[in-house]
Amino acid sequence: MIDSFAELAPAILVGLPILAAAFPLLLGRLWTRIGWWISLVTTLAMTGIAAVLAYSVHVNDAVHHHLGGFAPPIGIELVADALSVWFAFLIAATATVVLAYTYQGGPRGRAFSSVYLLLIGGLMGIALTGDLFNLFVFLEITGIAAYSLIAARQHRDAAYAALKYLIIGTVGATLYLIGVAYLFMATGSLNMVDVSASLAGGGSADIGVPLYDEMLVRAAFAFIFAGLATKVALFPVHSWQPDAYSEAPDAVTVILSALVSTVAAYALIRVTFTVFTPAFFEVTPAATTAIVTLGVVSALVGSILAVLQSRIKRMIAYSSVAQFGLVVAAIGVATGPIPAEFALAGAIIHLIGHAIMKGGIFAAAGAIAASTGARTVQEYAALARRRPGLAACVAVLGFALVGVPPSIGFIGKWYIALGAVESEMWLVAVVVFISTLLTLGYVARLLERMYFILPEDAPSAVVTDGGDGVSIGMLLVVVLAVALTVVLGFLGGPLFELVDPYIQEVLHG
Amino acid sequence: MSEVDSLRPLAVVLISLVAVGLIITSHRRPNVRESWSVLAAVGKFAIVASMLPGVRDGTVYVWRFETIVPHVDLSLRADPLGMLFALLASFLWIFTAFYATGYMRGLDEHAQTRFFAAFAASLSAAMGIAFAGNLITIFLFYEMLSIVTYPLVAHDETDEARIAGRKYLAYTFLGGGVLLLAGTALVYWLTMVHADPSIAFQAGGITELVAASDADPWPARIAFLALAIGFGVKAAVMPVHAWLADAMVAPTPVSGLLHAVAVVKSGAFGVARVVLDVFGVDLVADLGMDVVLAGMAATTIVLASFIALRKNNLKRRLAYSTVSQLSYIVLGVALLNPLAVLGGLLHMPAHAFMKLTLFFCAGAIHVETHTDDISDMAGIGRRMPLTMGAFAVAAAGMAGMPLLAGFVSKFYIVTGGIDAGMAIFAGALIVSGVLNVAYFWPVVYTAFFETPERHDPKPIVEHDRAPFRHFVSDGGDAHHDGHHGGPPPGGWEARSPLTESTWFMLGPIALLVTGAVILGILPGEAVFLDLVEQIVEGAVGGVDR
Amino acid sequence: MIEAVADRLLYFVVAVLLGIGLYMTVASPNLVKKVIGVNLMQTAVFLLFVTLAFVEGGSAPVVSQEAVAGRHASPLPHVIVLTAIVVGVAVTALALVLIIRLYVGFESLREDVIQEVRRND
Repeated sequence: MIDSFAELAPAILVGLPILAAAFPLLLGRLWTRIGWWISLVTTLAMTGIAAVLAYSVHVNDAVHHHLGGFAPPIGIELVADALSVWFAFLIAATATVVLAYTYQGGPRGRAFSSVYLLLIGGLMGIALTGDLFNLFVFLEITGIAAYSLIAARQHRDAAYAALKYLIIGTVGATLYLIGVAYLFMATGSLNMVDVSASLAGGGSADIGVPLYDEMLVRAAFAFIFAGLATKVALFPVHSWQPDAYSEAPDAVTVILSALVSTVAAYALIRVTFTVFTPAFFEVTPAATTAIVTLGVVSALVGSILAVLQSRIKRMIAYSSVAQFGLVVAAIGVATGPIPAEFALAGAIIHLIGHAIMKGGIFAAAGAIAASTGARTVQEYAALARRRPGLAACVAVLGFALVGVPPSIGFIGKWYIALGAVESEMWLVAVVVFISTLLTLGYVARLLERMYFILPEDAPSAVVTDGGDGVSIGMLLVVVLAVALTVVLGFLGGPLFELVDPYIQEVLHG
Repeated sequence: MSEVDSLRPLAVVLISLVAVGLIITSHRRPNVRESWSVLAAVGKFAIVASMLPGVRDGTVYVWRFETIVPHVDLSLRADPLGMLFALLASFLWIFTAFYATGYMRGLDEHAQTRFFAAFAASLSAAMGIAFAGNLITIFLFYEMLSIVTYPLVAHDETDEARIAGRKYLAYTFLGGGVLLLAGTALVYWLTMVHADPSIAFQAGGITELVAASDADPWPARIAFLALAIGFGVKAAVMPVHAWLADAMVAPTPVSGLLHAVAVVKSGAFGVARVVLDVFGVDLVADLGMDVVLAGMAATTIVLASFIALRKNNLKRRLAYSTVSQLSYIVLGVALLNPLAVLGGLLHMPAHAFMKLTLFFCAGAIHVETHTDDISDMAGIGRRMPLTMGAFAVAAAGMAGMPLLAGFVSKFYIVTGGIDAGMAIFAGALIVSGVLNVAYFWPVVYTAFFETPERHDPKPIVEHDRAPFRHFVSDGGDAHHDGHHGGPPPGGWEARSPLTESTWFMLGPIALLVTGAVILGILPGEAVFLDLVEQIVEGAVGGVDR
Repeated sequence: MIEAVADRLLYFVVAVLLGIGLYMTVASPNLVKKVIGVNLMQTAVFLLFVTLAFVEGGSAPVVSQEAVAGRHASPLPHVIVLTAIVVGVAVTALALVLIIRLYVGFESLREDVIQEVRRND
């Protein structure tokens, strides 16, 4: 029963939100709040399906769904394996939870609901697709939805941030598409597994010799990495992210920070390990060096830029640049000559952990802005007296980001550090350890503001929008993020077990 | 040695965390709030003490939880070494709970709820460090300790306190999140090469680590240095000591229990764990790291004593004395000789009793007279006879006078050092002993034998002060009543020991100084010596006295 | 050298178009021209796909009675280009909507002016 359902589940997960996206627009004229309810039902259903699928994949085996019955390599394939199901579940669950935030906190309206569902559909597509070009299409669907959601805030700065994101994002997607074109030239295929096999000398191309040292293949990787790095917002192509995160409506920032870059980084993992495989990096060590270097630089520069910011949301956005730097560095480490299982596990777990922590911090920042109007570090002074609960949540999530146990942030950092040590890439290891202090730099600045500035010398924050507009839904999102962050911090072992099948498969064949 | 599953180690950690919740919820009723502190302190000590007979008989109480990373459980183990630290910290918390009540109320401090909550939480973390069964668990509590003591350092909310807090966070996270994590990861990796990784503490050292470092000693050396310095940050080993003096801006109960006992000793305790239970004395000697660590400790002992000479602020002088004395413990452990280790570990309780007394005295002086600088204390013995008397006794113990706590432990370290053929380190102890007299005696002398009108020049502290920043400990409190410390017009009034201060503060001082004397006269009767012998037997080999 | 270029002329055209598009996107201060630059880049990639689908002597990949047996160009890239064009149109439309909003808000289409205004906010 579960098996036959699981066969269909990937298609439902991708198709359902995209289909449902039509209804808020259609029915919104009749009932004003119908969009929210449609979104809720859809995302709840998706969460359930994703959970069942995850269970089925965990117990049995990966599920391959051939869209329209066309078999790969020609047809498009959706793959739910030990990696993608967890991201599918993360997307569905996050999408559901963020809805609680938007119920009162907005943005509302039928257009918002439609685009929101479209975003979820796009993200789900990225997570589940097994086809390189299909991945491009979903990247763009996600992109278009994300640009629109940022512009949902009726302010000219939001439109500017959205356009900036649009231009940089589209250039990134185009670079990715060039890489795909090169791969297609080299192998004549677009299916990930088939391209991977063809690169190794087999597959539908069946050339007989590995293509890893072909210039074409190396260029393909360079373009794909550049394109995805843009979407991940790695330094120096990160410049869209601070604007996008800080100008978007608060609820949109939560979902953007939790999912959009995360899923792009997932795509990078997928392409790096499923398509190019460690064998490619063995022949092309320069690629490993490039990934590791960019990741490390991003981790360092992102943190420094974060310390310099005066606006909360910009600061947290730069922190994302730094944290994704760590993730990408870990991906690079895992491609190194010494197979580093822990590095790849670290990349995956830190991705998921970062989504929870960052989503939570942005949700808290939104709730704080809604209740006190505070949006700058300056205005956070003595916040602990005005909103002790929210301040405590920010403190917990902040320390989790620093990597203090027990928290998911620590688990991710531990695996990344261990991976760097294991593969004897000492520079990365040093940066991972030092990043504790760099992260502390901006987290401590915020905490000091919140807790140790006396109220009288604190500037009274100007309530710009909302007043005391904090809702139960907003607090629920924050508290849930805090709880998950801490509880998962105790479960580093089991989390590793969950992703281990995928890691064994890609690193050891 | 038998292991018994038990919830008691967990209960020890949790009881004060529960108290944190209760303290916060009863923030409107100070009496109820403070009684939670006291109850938690007594309860904590009771649970720790209840495990003592078992531990003395060789039982280890263990509590395990979910695998936090592969092959590593979150585990708490009450073994003899952990018991030593837990017993000490939980016992002294009882006194501090009373003292803190008197102190905070005496000064009418702000944010008392936050203060007491963070205080209780830091005791939880300290117990976690004591009972941690492996490097990950100890890291967890080490970081927790850094976080929950931060509000205590930055308590005053003045610029000075905030800067001290920043410095504190930066240093402790350098020690924890950077060095300790790095060392843990290295040990995990080293032991993983040959078998499943094992980073659980074992008396005598982790066996897998020996094989790993045979192949290539350098990673093991780096791991040792990372761990030793990582813990050394909290033990204020030079060059990572600078935070401690600045942290004296915190209220005195914090400086007393945390920055003389629980927090700093967690660092020294960590070093002991690393030497005895992670690497083991043999491996440390093979790696040649004992000399490095002992050298650092000896340097700290001597240099910090010299710096203390020049400090005019009493709490700062005590802080540098702490820096120096903590390295006695590190030195004793680093010498690897059974006698020296015995002395080093025994110095943990000895120093704790004495230094807590000294800090409590400094705090009582501050509350009663708002005097922080030694140069303002001429004749203060008339005003606070009991306090200054206790101060004199504890200071004498610090210097290593026989019949006081400090003598016994120092004696063992010196003998051990000579036994180990490292007489130069023993020499550092003797020099430091002389310097101890040199920086404590002026305080006692000025208090009892001088008056505000007639006192000798103090060239060492008064010469060329200008280039140094002048710190006022306890931040803005000195301005509470517009009185900037020092004797009131007309000199100190004479008071009897019964009326010099509140008994919330005098009681703990009197009891603690008695404890210090008992430790000195009857070391065999106090439980600590037996416990330390048991530790040394397990980790180093028999003590040949 | 010249032969090498002549052999791969179409690829060079693609590369040049891509370069021009990227340059416009980065260098032009005018937002509309930026979007045109992006479009140019996309078009270059479409051309790349069409080029690599080309088969010497092949007919268009339209399946009819007589063409089934003969050589024909690879159909897959054409499908890809069709899809990508749709995506490109959607992106361009959205970009233009945003530019209109920006023009209403800032009364300018120049990025430098907009940044100036935002700095002064």
